[in-house]
Amino acid sequence: MSRFKLNRRTLLRGALGGGVVTLGLPPFEAFFNSTGTAYADGSLLPRRFGLFWWGNGMLPDFWVPTETGEDYTLSPLLEPLESMRQRLTVVTGTKVNVPNIVPHFSGSAGLLTGMPEIQIGDDYTFAGPTIDVVLGQALGGQSRFRRIEFGAAAKEGLSFNGPHSRNPPETDPAALFRRIFVEGFVAPGDEPVFDPKLALRRSVLDAVVEDARRLRDVVSKTDSIRLEQHMEGVRELERSIARLEEDPPDLAACSVPPEPDVEYPDVDGRPQLSAKNRVMCDTIAMALACDQTRVFSNFFSYPVNNTLFPNAPDGHHNLTHDEPGDQPEVFAITRQCMEEFAYQLQALENVAEGDGTLLDSCAVLGASEISLGRIHSLEEFPILIGGSCGGRLKEGLHYRSETQESSSKVVLSLLRAMGLPLGSWGEGDAFVDEGLSAIEV
Amino acid sequence: MKHLHLLLTASICVGCATEPVPVDPPEPRLRRLTQDQYRNVVADLFGADVVVPPNLEPDLTVDGFAAIGAALGSISARGVEQYEEAAYSVAGQALGSEADPAALVPCTPSGAVDSACAEAFLGDLAFRAWRRPVSAEELGRLVAVTEQAGESLGDFYEGVQFGVAAILQSPNFLFREELGEDDPDNPGGRRFTSWEMASRMSFLLWNTGPDAELLAAAEAGDLVTDDGLAAQADRMMADPRARRGIRAFFTELYKLQRLDDLEKDPTVFVHMGDDVGAAAREETLLNVEALVFDEDADFREFITSDRTFVNPKLASIYNIRSPVREGFGEATLDADDGRRGFLGQLSFLALNSHPINSSATLRGKFVRETLLCQSIPDPPADVDTSIPEPSGNAPTLRDRVADHLSVDACAGCHEIMDPIGLGFENFDALGRWRTTQGGAVIDPSGVLDGVAFDNAWQLADVVAEHEKFGSCIARSLFRFGVGHLEEPGERPSVAALGADLEASGFRIHDLVLSLVTSPVFRQTAEVTPRTPRLFFGDDS
Repeated sequence: MSRFKLNRRTLLRGALGGGVVTLGLPPFEAFFNSTGTAYADGSLLPRRFGLFWWGNGMLPDFWVPTETGEDYTLSPLLEPLESMRQRLTVVTGTKVNVPNIVPHFSGSAGLLTGMPEIQIGDDYTFAGPTIDVVLGQALGGQSRFRRIEFGAAAKEGLSFNGPHSRNPPETDPAALFRRIFVEGFVAPGDEPVFDPKLALRRSVLDAVVEDARRLRDVVSKTDSIRLEQHMEGVRELERSIARLEEDPPDLAACSVPPEPDVEYPDVDGRPQLSAKNRVMCDTIAMALACDQTRVFSNFFSYPVNNTLFPNAPDGHHNLTHDEPGDQPEVFAITRQCMEEFAYQLQALENVAEGDGTLLDSCAVLGASEISLGRIHSLEEFPILIGGSCGGRLKEGLHYRSETQESSSKVVLSLLRAMGLPLGSWGEGDAFVDEGLSAIEV
Repeated sequence: MKHLHLLLTASICVGCATEPVPVDPPEPRLRRLTQDQYRNVVADLFGADVVVPPNLEPDLTVDGFAAIGAALGSISARGVEQYEEAAYSVAGQALGSEADPAALVPCTPSGAVDSACAEAFLGDLAFRAWRRPVSAEELGRLVAVTEQAGESLGDFYEGVQFGVAAILQSPNFLFREELGEDDPDNPGGRRFTSWEMASRMSFLLWNTGPDAELLAAAEAGDLVTDDGLAAQADRMMADPRARRGIRAFFTELYKLQRLDDLEKDPTVFVHMGDDVGAAAREETLLNVEALVFDEDADFREFITSDRTFVNPKLASIYNIRSPVREGFGEATLDADDGRRGFLGQLSFLALNSHPINSSATLRGKFVRETLLCQSIPDPPADVDTSIPEPSGNAPTLRDRVADHLSVDACAGCHEIMDPIGLGFENFDALGRWRTTQGGAVIDPSGVLDGVAFDNAWQLADVVAEHEKFGSCIARSLFRFGVGHLEEPGERPSVAALGADLEASGFRIHDLVLSLVTSPVFRQTAEVTPRTPRLFFGDDS
């Protein structure tokens, strides 16, 4: 048993011009016992959430499928998802309803936090927590890690706890593997080795919390929030160490995945994004199967990235602005991104669990920060959803919003499908109090 | 030494030549150690051979500086894991079975648990790591975990590693606590304490924590006096570690860390390889070091000097004869080479370009924002920023960006950036010299704030002589040194720093001394602590 009781009330705080943003969420444990398929031992399968992000948007002319409903043909840009078509819902025609002030930033802030970005000093940051953090705080307490962020070209990622508080992603496949499956990991069926150092590490962290508590009480209000965030991380680590001291859960689907290569050197000056992404997708699939985490974010590529993709004649961002005509090079890069999203879903589909596959229990949101890169449009926003979240979301569907509904409705549907009993999502123009019923079961 | 004498004179004159400027400073903020600072302090405490794991909480860059982000960001849950891993790795390397723990621990332990020995070792280490006296309660916690570990593991040196790990994971180490005290010389005002001034100076000047001499000066109360500060500042600027501090400043200012991720298409640029970015950074920093430390020169030469330092790779890109077979050597450029000064260096030219094409806008923006401290708004989010493809009618970039300059909505900003950037069009996206583009001769002439230039060689003079050049460096060093944008109550002091820099003949050395002895670096405001908390779950 951990010596720390976890907060039942989940608090997400951030500094907002010296003030405090508090988002209080009620406890959710009750929701997990009502429905769901079971593990072999009768315990219930958890729900899992994934985010797959690619930067620089898409080309609406080649993105939106012609037909709607279940009987539709994938568009040229979505063709790489053909093998996952039955597990996929495509939502088109929605709009991220925040002022489009900062190119590539307003859209990601609007979709992921339901709020416009805020300005502090001369710089911009997210005003509140992103959806992966909201879900990790609410649901992640039962697994070893609340959330895991990674991505082949993630750069700083887009996971925020609040203003200027980012969760840095892992970009090195070997390091991601080591974090989850090497350091202290005990596979099901293995005898845990009693390690006195685990308890000692927790004692050290107790001392760290004591130091932080003293400091918190003498610094400014704003700094006390920063220290509380630090303390939350320390307690999180204590909890995850405590999990390692327990017997490993008996999960039939769990096994240690293959270890990634140490290095993925550039080829012709192009990073090996696909190879890195795929091995990290395999790693994270097993992290879910082994219940090491229930929430992940894969920042495959980042907003404004000028990455040289294989065969591309210029950086991705440059091409979105400067390539003339139908932008065949942007088209080819966006297709590569969709191939990687397809692999993300396939990696989850490949793992058998219960009566189905790992993907059954997942909701994986695929999105970018804009639609048409050339003009940073927030209309006709690209939204893809993989998995049914334990039968709560429809699959195999193209839903088209003819009334330019808010993208926040999709987010609210996803959060509710994950079990958060939220009445609304977002603020200001991005506020919604109903989900997108067409994609809900 | 003549040199030292000049410095002392200069720093004294800062206080006497001009009227003191009143300061209205903001509330003090905690600053997190940057990655480099963490590594430097660990090397100071445990030796340069100790290897810190590569991944630590990333620096947060805000308003152009990690130094400012350090005062805003917190530590993520992942960062806590990484700091833990680093702490045990460092402790193990310093005190583990492969190390020579007796070299670090000043006493011989009597057994697996020896509280007095643990207290002696950890007390001194925590004092140096936390940069201030350690309370009995704090030391008690460190000794307690050490005793518990020694008993559990049956070995003193194994046990003491847990005490070391506690020191290195503590917010007392990871954050700089500089909260100030009542200022007896300024009733009603607050100043940073002598201990806090030691940290402020050492992290600014050396990019690491204070050494023993500085801590001794702090303990003696010297660092709240003008003379004490000036004496330590002179000593510190004469120390080789000052090169590290100045390098850190210019690396942040010119965003040279981005050279690690330089994206250039090697199928277009045959010189491109993993070593190019690092070499470019070294060239720029060697120029800074030579001007600031070896020559105490007018820093405008950074922009106008025909001397630079290159390795064979850079020499081949610049198409000049390499002065050395390996490493860096001094080279002299002439007008035929077309380039001189920082604005002719790859680190400026390549970083402010696209992977394949040069960018007049990015280069002009850098000159405006970073060298002249003029701000330019972001383009509106919903405009089409594309420029026409090269064609027979528009072969050069100047022809192609003409749109920016003719469309009203764009021109407002682009006409203050593009004409400067077009002055560098003789350099391609990597920084190679060229005279034609698409068969047409490149025209690099232009006007910067009313001063005409024919090419980049002349443009260097225009930038260096610009009235904002000196005050911009002063403002940047202030932001880097204090970790925040200047508040209204600090602006007169920052302006005075700029005036001092110009009066000194643009000596960076003098600017640093002016800053650390200035009230704007030494005074602070009272902390308003948090109100009693309404929510904190189990942690009351």
